[in-house]
Amino acid sequence: MRKYWEMAKSQIQLDTAYTAWYWARSASIIMRMLIIYAFWHAVYENRTTISDMPLDTMITYIVLATLLGNYVSGVGGQLANQVRDGSVAIELMRPYNLLDKLVALDLGSKISGTIRETFPLLLVAFLFLHINSPTSWLSLLLFIISALLGIFIGTQLDLIIGILAFWLHYVWGLRVLRDAILAFFSGVLVPITMFPSWLQMVSNFLPFQSMVYVPVAIYTGQIEGIAALQAIAIQLVWLVVIIVGIRLAWSFAIRKVTIFGG
Amino acid sequence: MRRYSKLYWQYFKARIKVMMEYRVDFLIGVMSVLFVQGTSILFIALVFHNVDTIHGWTFYQLLFIFAVAMLGRSLEHTFFDNLWTLGWQYIRPGNFDRLLVRPVNPLFQIIAERVQQDGVGSFLVGIIVLFTAIPHLELHWGIAEVMLLIVMIISSAAIFLAVNLFFATLSFWMVDSLPVMYAVQGMNDFARYPMQIYGKGVRFVLTWIIPYGFTAFYPAALFLDGSGFRSIGIWTPVVAIVTLSIALLFWKRGLRSFVSTGN
Repeated sequence: MRKYWEMAKSQIQLDTAYTAWYWARSASIIMRMLIIYAFWHAVYENRTTISDMPLDTMITYIVLATLLGNYVSGVGGQLANQVRDGSVAIELMRPYNLLDKLVALDLGSKISGTIRETFPLLLVAFLFLHINSPTSWLSLLLFIISALLGIFIGTQLDLIIGILAFWLHYVWGLRVLRDAILAFFSGVLVPITMFPSWLQMVSNFLPFQSMVYVPVAIYTGQIEGIAALQAIAIQLVWLVVIIVGIRLAWSFAIRKVTIFGG
Repeated sequence: MRRYSKLYWQYFKARIKVMMEYRVDFLIGVMSVLFVQGTSILFIALVFHNVDTIHGWTFYQLLFIFAVAMLGRSLEHTFFDNLWTLGWQYIRPGNFDRLLVRPVNPLFQIIAERVQQDGVGSFLVGIIVLFTAIPHLELHWGIAEVMLLIVMIISSAAIFLAVNLFFATLSFWMVDSLPVMYAVQGMNDFARYPMQIYGKGVRFVLTWIIPYGFTAFYPAALFLDGSGFRSIGIWTPVVAIVTLSIALLFWKRGLRSFVSTGN
């Protein structure tokens, strides 16, 4: 465990060294928030609620979903690059589990991202976009638990990109595809409750809504009480299923490494 | 000029050969772009599933704006995508020196070295969206209107190119300006929605500083009756020429102050 923590720390140091990307990302998120604000104000021009959500709830939802949406992808792309340039073979010989190492690096980045990006942007959102505070202390607590689970699910699921790289070359395309699917089905763009009912049904059977929609809806009070606990239980199940599934796929995939030779 | 078109053709053939090597990847690329563009359309459709108009604009009017943006962007994306890699693929590893010793314009070489197949996907989506929107807009389409639309789409592509070229050029001073390009590019999402929904500041920036407004909303408004933006929209080709000239001058300036990273 300790070595993985050291890896996470090294990633935090690495992130703090590259400031250009930090400013670029923050700037583009602030711009997205501006668009969100203007767009939803225009949508609500002649009405008070959409899918039972008033304007302030909607803006709170979308802003939080946008911020949480930054966490759903992980280090799948990095793994894919290592698979493609062959350095994965050397990584496999080292005294750690490669997947766990990558997850540790990813969590390191996410920790530094939370402190350097999410918290300041959240403050900006509270001050200038006037987003709501959570409905109660309990819902705040459940939100944090649920958000953490969502982030873990995203981190693990992302490794699929890296595993697919054993068979496919064009990693950029895969990543774009992943981003599109995630943006839509995780609930970053609109709350799942705005989907037509058949699409909500489909989404219920997919792991993606557990990453963003569930935690944010707990925050805004759309999911509350027993339903919130149920949703968190479903997140836990997904997390376990995905961790096991990924490890199985991985042990199958690395056999290809020995076939290729060193 | 003839020499350059011949050269471009040679580069192009080489690119196609590479693409054909990785056919599955080609399909993934096209599919992924279809999906990305699809989600943005789906987003709009979902919103209009719940409301009738946004600030007086209908679903199909918004689709028309989207279509202009997608078509312009896809042209730029297909043929000029390599500018994104100027910093990390050319300047940082010292490859840019290699381009300078050849007797061909370095900007031409960078542009010609890659054709981005994914642009084809977004072009297709753009066409589909355009033809979905048009029958619902009660427009009169003659030869003149079609020509005008084509000019507007090419101008939109030229503005995308100009903005990208301008910020890619910063790489000559800062080695890799990719983060800056990324941040600026994020702004073009603004241009897909009617400008009236934004405050004065945003509108000013998108019209006068980084004229992304002219890549989608203004030229599209030219065709949408009674939108009140016709007199601005008509300036789109002029804006395209001016921004492209500025970007090219800036590129030349950057080229002069280029110092190799060494090897």
